[in-house]
Amino acid sequence: MIDVADTPAPDTTGAQPATRATDPVLAELMARFPDRHFTPQATVDGIPTVWISRCDLLEVARYLKHEIDAPYSFLYDLTAIDERQRRDATDAPRKDFTTVYHLSSYDRGRDVRLKVALGDGDSVPTLSTLWPAANWYEREAWDLFGVGFSGHPNLCRILLPPTWDGHALRKDHPARATEFEHFHLDQLRMEKEHEALHFKPEDWGMARQSDNADFLFLNLGPNHPSAHGVFRTVLQMDGEVILDAVPDIGYHHRGAEKMGERQSWHSYIPYTDRIDYLGGVVNELPYVLAVEQMAGITVPDRVKVARVMLCELFRICSHLLLYGTFVQDVGGLSPVFFMFTDRQKVYDCIERITGFRMHPAFFRIGGLSMDLPDGWHEPVQELIDWLPGRLDEYDKMAMRNRTLKVRAQGIGACTTDEAIEWGMTGPNLRSTGLEWDLRKKKPYSGYDWFDFDVPTGKRGDCYDRCQLRIDEMRQSIRILQQCVDNMPAGDYKARHPLTTPPLKEYAMEHIETLIHHFMKVSWGPAIPAGECCIPVEGTKGLNSYYLTSDGDTRSYRTRIRTPSFAHLQMIPLLSRGHTVSDLVAILGSIDFVMADCDR
Amino acid sequence: MSSKDAPHEATIPAQPRKWTISKPVAGPAAQPGGAIPAARPSQRPDEQTQRPFFFSKLEALVAWGRSHSVWPFNFGLSCCYVEMASSFTAPHDIARFGSEVIRASPRQADVIVISGTVFMKMAPVIQRLYEQMMEPRWVISMGSCANSGGMYDIYSVVQGVDKFLPVDVYVPGCPPRPEALFEGLLLLQSAIREDRRPLSWTVGPQGVIKADRPSQKAAKREARMAVTKLREPHES
Repeated sequence: MIDVADTPAPDTTGAQPATRATDPVLAELMARFPDRHFTPQATVDGIPTVWISRCDLLEVARYLKHEIDAPYSFLYDLTAIDERQRRDATDAPRKDFTTVYHLSSYDRGRDVRLKVALGDGDSVPTLSTLWPAANWYEREAWDLFGVGFSGHPNLCRILLPPTWDGHALRKDHPARATEFEHFHLDQLRMEKEHEALHFKPEDWGMARQSDNADFLFLNLGPNHPSAHGVFRTVLQMDGEVILDAVPDIGYHHRGAEKMGERQSWHSYIPYTDRIDYLGGVVNELPYVLAVEQMAGITVPDRVKVARVMLCELFRICSHLLLYGTFVQDVGGLSPVFFMFTDRQKVYDCIERITGFRMHPAFFRIGGLSMDLPDGWHEPVQELIDWLPGRLDEYDKMAMRNRTLKVRAQGIGACTTDEAIEWGMTGPNLRSTGLEWDLRKKKPYSGYDWFDFDVPTGKRGDCYDRCQLRIDEMRQSIRILQQCVDNMPAGDYKARHPLTTPPLKEYAMEHIETLIHHFMKVSWGPAIPAGECCIPVEGTKGLNSYYLTSDGDTRSYRTRIRTPSFAHLQMIPLLSRGHTVSDLVAILGSIDFVMADCDR
Repeated sequence: MSSKDAPHEATIPAQPRKWTISKPVAGPAAQPGGAIPAARPSQRPDEQTQRPFFFSKLEALVAWGRSHSVWPFNFGLSCCYVEMASSFTAPHDIARFGSEVIRASPRQADVIVISGTVFMKMAPVIQRLYEQMMEPRWVISMGSCANSGGMYDIYSVVQGVDKFLPVDVYVPGCPPRPEALFEGLLLLQSAIREDRRPLSWTVGPQGVIKADRPSQKAAKREARMAVTKLREPHES
């Protein structure tokens, strides 16, 4: 444990979305339930947080979702924390485990967090009766923590294989693969694992036949050309028509949350790149923003604008990949070749600035890894001049193509209400007609300095989802032009003791600064105890890192909320009544990344 | 061709045959592993182009053809697959090396590129897919995760695909650039040319004699050590 005496108390008076003092929700809760015991908790991110008893959970959640004015209709996240090794003092009613419910209100533009303390072996009532989206989140919490959810329709493993022993995110579960015995795959194990993957419709409450037909259960994945990654769906088919679907995930579970408990705050940054691996630095942003908020660091303007620029470059890169592969999925084979040519141009910009293509790990706690290089604006300007004309061409080639319209329009549609109910976010949500972009609603990293519009769709079908991303690329180009024209001068790192790695210029001045530099580089900073979660508008939807620090040089708990997890849970809803070829279009248009889903 | 006169080993020099219509070449055709004999120094280029034939051992010719039509299986695991897809498309264009024919079925594919992290839950599936591929088949391990687990020494990740599959080429990087995958593919091609396989199950001794797969780290060491100045990002 490092002495943190040289670090000042965090300055948490900075840009907070809504502090407890200004948010009326806790007062509303106390007024509605005067005889219940609520314990509010202060958090660094300013989201009102309250501990409630597990027998009150359903009532409180129902009140917040249905009865309160401007309700909290969106279950943003649901997770658990193993509290058994926490070292920071607290007056919160903590026990062995905590389940955390992060609710969000589109009407208020505000969030609220509920916490329930549980002993080992306790279970908590399921929220899947209120929010269908809670189903997978609760299965995940069961899989990784062993927290029970009473009343859950099918509480089984979701990320780890059914044959797994133990609950991986418990503090007493080994983290490293090298702590287990060597992996071997003999015939016996092959048979056992394949048997475990065998789909039994009865487990999911599915009938094998109707009065006049036997259903076909079609296995699609985990390796299928149209599945965009290691994703498996089992379809219940009546002839050509999909009656129901059971998505099966977990083939891409890389234990990123457990990794956060082992890496230092600084050395975890490269892992964030690989969450939504098409998004690159867009993943780093919510992580460094949350750490900076806990550390009390305010970054210079140049850092903010450079971060915005790189995020928008990656947004274009990710949207171009969706555009190409979606059109390819519905039968247009050539556009993807053009779009990868454009992606190469985007990578040229990214590589010129960061030195790497896909996973630059360029952001740092309190700044950037280095200043923008000489001539950084040349490739960016070239891209800005190049791309709009290409997008016009693709409109003719792809979006106005009659075959594509027939394949995509009216397919896999959902309404705004359904989207909110299931936790859909990002471009997919906006394609249903809701104008909600976090970059506008709760600007972070200086997005409020930029002029851009928020495109919306109408029908929320495959065509709209693709069209919306094209419109977003045009807006990203606008933002890029403003970055090129108005890049502020100044430092690329904040002058703050917790900036990592620290500024080199002081290192050789004095023995104290040398020791400081050495400690910050070798051990990394010790971030003050607290909790923080700052969502950002990722390439695919809302993405955030809910970080819990107990004052150590690494995170106590890193919870990654990703959009793909929620989106994939909607596959049955979107695909019912369609054919298998429509499902391919739906999978192509949803824009998911399995690493983003399984982490 | 009967099994009697088929060349069994790479070291057997080409024998003069009765059906030869010109004077047999003893020297260059006997190169071990060499597919196409070079022109004799005395031969003028125009003279050579007028001859509609060349000499080779049949198995070397087959290996040469095989090495330039390595069809990959359409299979990807994680981030590396994005770079693999980049290598299929226009800016990098894997078709230059004869590997653009992506097969959706393992039964029609020659090479499986393990492009990404090998997960415990996925390992039995990968093994099954590999078993479904027909001989001759090759495995390229692409990226640090597939090579060794890479930065993911974590409970759900197999520490390298070579824990259960025989790997022919390891491509380092996280993820490797498309150019690095090409280098791996070219190394695989030269290995395919040098490996000795029976022409048929009725011809010659059975079994595969694999050529050496030399360490590229050792081969490139000198060139790497010679680099003393790293260029700045703006220097091209």
